[in-house]
Amino acid sequence: MGTKSVINTDRLYWLGRYSERVYTTLRLFGKSFDELIEQLTEADYSRFCSTLDIPNIYTDKDDFIARYAFDLTDPNSIISNLTRAYDNAIELREEIGSETLSYIQMALYSMQKAKEDQAPAIEFQDVTDDILAFWGIVDDQIDDENTRNIIKVGKRVERLDLYTRLRMNRVDINREVQRLAGRIDRCSLRYRTQSIIELLDAVQAPELDYPAILKSVESILEV
Amino acid sequence: MNNLDLLDRTDTINGLLARYGVKFGIYKNGTFKEQLFPFDAIPRVIEKEEFAYLERGLKQRVAALNLFLKDIYNEKKIVKDGVVPEDFVYAASGYLVPCEGVTPPKGVFSHISGIDLVLGKDGVWYILEDNLRVPSGASYPMIARELCRRASPRTFNETAIEDNRNYARILKHTLDYVNTGGLSVVMTPGRYNAAYFEHSYLAEQMRIPLVTYSDLEVENDYLYFKGYAGKRERVGAVYRRISDEYMDPMNFNPESVIGVPHIFDVYRKGHVALLNAPGNGIADDKGIYYFVPKMIQYYLGEEPVLHNAPTYLPFYEEDMKYVLEKFDTLVLKDVAEAGGYGVVFGSKMTKEQKEKFIAMLKAEPRRFIAQEVIDFCDIPIQDRGQIVERKADLRAFVLTAEEPVVWKSGLTRFSRNPDSFIVNSSQGGGFKDTWVLSQ
Repeated sequence: MGTKSVINTDRLYWLGRYSERVYTTLRLFGKSFDELIEQLTEADYSRFCSTLDIPNIYTDKDDFIARYAFDLTDPNSIISNLTRAYDNAIELREEIGSETLSYIQMALYSMQKAKEDQAPAIEFQDVTDDILAFWGIVDDQIDDENTRNIIKVGKRVERLDLYTRLRMNRVDINREVQRLAGRIDRCSLRYRTQSIIELLDAVQAPELDYPAILKSVESILEV
Repeated sequence: MNNLDLLDRTDTINGLLARYGVKFGIYKNGTFKEQLFPFDAIPRVIEKEEFAYLERGLKQRVAALNLFLKDIYNEKKIVKDGVVPEDFVYAASGYLVPCEGVTPPKGVFSHISGIDLVLGKDGVWYILEDNLRVPSGASYPMIARELCRRASPRTFNETAIEDNRNYARILKHTLDYVNTGGLSVVMTPGRYNAAYFEHSYLAEQMRIPLVTYSDLEVENDYLYFKGYAGKRERVGAVYRRISDEYMDPMNFNPESVIGVPHIFDVYRKGHVALLNAPGNGIADDKGIYYFVPKMIQYYLGEEPVLHNAPTYLPFYEEDMKYVLEKFDTLVLKDVAEAGGYGVVFGSKMTKEQKEKFIAMLKAEPRRFIAQEVIDFCDIPIQDRGQIVERKADLRAFVLTAEEPVVWKSGLTRFSRNPDSFIVNSSQGGGFKDTWVLSQ
């Protein structure tokens, strides 16, 4: 397909972002859930919220476990982010194909199933598998390079954003910056070259300046 | 025919339909919900000769309806000759004054016609209604067939069935035939429309853009698809899945926020094809239905191949008398309603309801039609491990480019309620694939 509408371009980008947000936060949450088995303190989940820049609205650790994963009224919950990925995907059927869309649909079904389960962490594996399969099929079955790359740029921007907030190490941050820089000019998204240059410079600096990196990440796309 | 392994996989097929998001939208208490459309793997089977008969009748009917639309918005010979009373034309909500004198590209009005039929217990097929505006439903048997073939290749290897997966190709040809130059697109009102799955699936299958009002703009009497970063392309055909009144706020409902301003002006100038043509509602009005057999005789000089259900117009004094006499045996339909709504059975009304209804009928006779209740055939469905019989109809699709083509399949909808004749998905019905045998 040649011309891509403004709204579909936006949806593809945010589909990439939300799918990544679900994937990474699910992994982080799984780790917290594991710690809960023995001990998880209020300080732990409070730090978790602060790191991801989401409000700590949870009354105790049980409330955190229940709501951060599954509360649809909490806009920061994992299920809310997955629903947003779905909301974008469902309006992109003709762009990405029914087969590709089906993996996001299945991830949502798996998440709804996990919500009903006494041991949700084991069900999260299906959600993670569905998202990994979604990314695989994006590569395998979407013929249009521009479509593929917009989704991937969304995914890279989100991962860089999360990794920076999580103060991940230089190797991880550098890898994501290089992946983003190599991808973004291969799609029709309008972006600020200066932001990419800043990111490439930042990962070479002796000390990683996380707030500055985050600022550059947030200013990549021209609005 | 041995299709037991297909039936055994009904749950698997329904699981796959859920996986692919084969749903329809419904508003309940003001809230939008997406629901799965239950699929029953026992197909409706139509023999080759029987379908040839239906095909002949459907082509004839759609040809006459197209001629009626052309006539009504131009010369109005059928009104002048007294075949159709003018009350039934100009008072109908589907008649649109702005369409007067407008002939669409290549003269086709109803490009996609959905004709609802039932098979009576007397072995006769009856037409229940014509849908010439935005008929939906073809996507469901299309995707169901795809999944059934996966579930039971043996069934399809052993049975000679017409392949129905050509619908998108026929539809694309229908769009291309009337395209005035540029892209063909599917226009949807958006995700919260009941048939959104179908809009997106057909766009995907035809490999053309799915657009909403915000993706289109009119400039200098041409229609354009707006792309990212200022790129834009001319549009030559719009398969619009939005009703007439919301299509263009400058020409129709000024409060519409989902239409494209001036798209109708572009159409009027012949610079874009709109499928189906605006104004078609006059031909599928429930009151006009009564006159379709007369149209066939008038325009084609032929006897109708397919029968209408026996219908009465309370508008006529004689018919009103009959309707009042036989009230308890008839089904009454509000011509302004669709989707199985506004349909009441005389036999199921309380005395009080009946009195109230008759008062309304007398006050607004043009608003209702009455029909004999067709005792239509039950067909087998699976229900919790049992095979039971339920009422079902058939929506046949006729696509018109150079000439009408009947799709060799159709949507069979059935009621899941043993006491109900209402098969609509919005009222809890399910669907089946329709097999047309090729030998």
